[in-house]
Amino acid sequence: MRGPLVPLTGADCFLRAFDGEVRRSAGASHLSQLVLRLGPGFDPERLREQLAKAAEEAPILRAPIRRPWPFGAPVYDLSRAPRAPLPRVSKVQGLAPNLSNSVPEVFCERLNDRFASRRGELLRFDVVPYDGGAAGTDVAMTWVHMLFDGAGSEAFVRWLDERFRGVRAAGELPAGDGLGDVAPPPMGAGRGRQAQAWQRHMRGLAARPPRSLAGPLRRERQALRYDVETYSPDDTAAVVARAKQKAGFLTPMLFYLAAAIRAHDAVFRARAVDPGSYVVPLPVNLRPKGAEGAIFRTHVSMLWFRVAPEEARDFDGLLELLKAQRRDAIKSGLVEAGAAAMDYARYAPARLYAHMARRSFHGELCSFFFAWTDQFLPGQDSFLGAPIVNAFHTPSVPPSPGSGAILSIRSGRLNLTHVYQQGVVSGEERVLLRRRLRADLLGRE
Amino acid sequence: MGEWNRETLTRRIFEILRDDILEVDDRFTPASNLVEAGLDSLAVTQLLLALEESTGIWVDESLLTPENLASAEALAACVAGILG
Repeated sequence: MRGPLVPLTGADCFLRAFDGEVRRSAGASHLSQLVLRLGPGFDPERLREQLAKAAEEAPILRAPIRRPWPFGAPVYDLSRAPRAPLPRVSKVQGLAPNLSNSVPEVFCERLNDRFASRRGELLRFDVVPYDGGAAGTDVAMTWVHMLFDGAGSEAFVRWLDERFRGVRAAGELPAGDGLGDVAPPPMGAGRGRQAQAWQRHMRGLAARPPRSLAGPLRRERQALRYDVETYSPDDTAAVVARAKQKAGFLTPMLFYLAAAIRAHDAVFRARAVDPGSYVVPLPVNLRPKGAEGAIFRTHVSMLWFRVAPEEARDFDGLLELLKAQRRDAIKSGLVEAGAAAMDYARYAPARLYAHMARRSFHGELCSFFFAWTDQFLPGQDSFLGAPIVNAFHTPSVPPSPGSGAILSIRSGRLNLTHVYQQGVVSGEERVLLRRRLRADLLGRE
Repeated sequence: MGEWNRETLTRRIFEILRDDILEVDDRFTPASNLVEAGLDSLAVTQLLLALEESTGIWVDESLLTPENLASAEALAACVAGILG
């Protein structure tokens, strides 16, 4: 990818609107993280070498993000990338073998860091070897969320490994990462009407606004933590079969979303607090056919769901409601409308956009964050010569809503990552949340 | 079931996919695997909505097994079963 100025996508800018808010209220950046738990044989020097080559071939990896003029759309300034430092690789000695589900403290701490995206600090790695690497190594890749979306982050890991193994030629980026694909779409009257339709839809969701577990406008300093629960292969097979049977072979995400809503509902009920209605966005991958492996920038729209607490009492009834909402949303063009509305975020001042969203929901953004990313790096068994034992995503969540659930499957094992702001959910509540989720995923009380 | 039988359903599903949803070339036929041709979670719902518009019947996503998405012909057989 060459060229001086590469515009951020509408989705990048939509998310960026909340980036500034997170920084102002909590002093950190809005980041995403991916964790690879590797077996023996990982060498951090190999990673440094591959990153240096990657930064040469794809300068966007360290390109400062800025607005070229006050009201212009923000861009990656590729011309300044060579002067920015290479993505950092830090090594911290691990204390115990990585056999359990506990994650190194440094990984949580990294999610609370401030990244200087205006100076091109967009990505860094933390490496935690156990017994000098002989007992395995944990690797966390943490990035400014605009650089990759979930699918893009996995594509980047795959690209690094393919370059290392010589499977992919130097400079050969996946389709969809070329400059020809990145021009912003024209903002004509049609897209204006789509954006207005989306705005009306969002106002409709505000009829009974959500209340998150953190409560509106929490101002505590960002302190993200996360729990990871890895299901056994047998339990994972049972969950996958149940998801297919209940929600369909290609659309299992609503099954997992229903379980996540009921898991949060269990906590609200235990607190005897009214959650308003559950309002949750679900990312929709918008990579065009042929560009499924595109790495950089965010290629999503969002579908929003709203569920009254009484509609969450029965799992099957909730799932049917979510299916109907998804069907109606797609039928009425809300995927395209959401993309159009996010394209307007390129030009709106970030602070204004976040303010508008919070005002609609009485200070909240949504009830909680959720994502289902399906198979994690399917078909890739190793990373830079070390076997991948497990892998999962850990997206950050702002101080409010303060709680997020992301699920994916690696080598036949389901991983649930529950990300939360410290102080938002107690230890007992986290156990309750995971227990409720597990019961619904498996259909066993 | 009226005008809809396996043959007419196959033709309609094939046309919807070829003309409106998938980006496919001449190698795409009523026997082609739909997932391999690019049918994903968004596209399958768009297909079901278009089918509902044509037939008046909504096919629940839970019926979409890999077997039923093996081809336009297989999906037509599934829909024909619902239409009775």
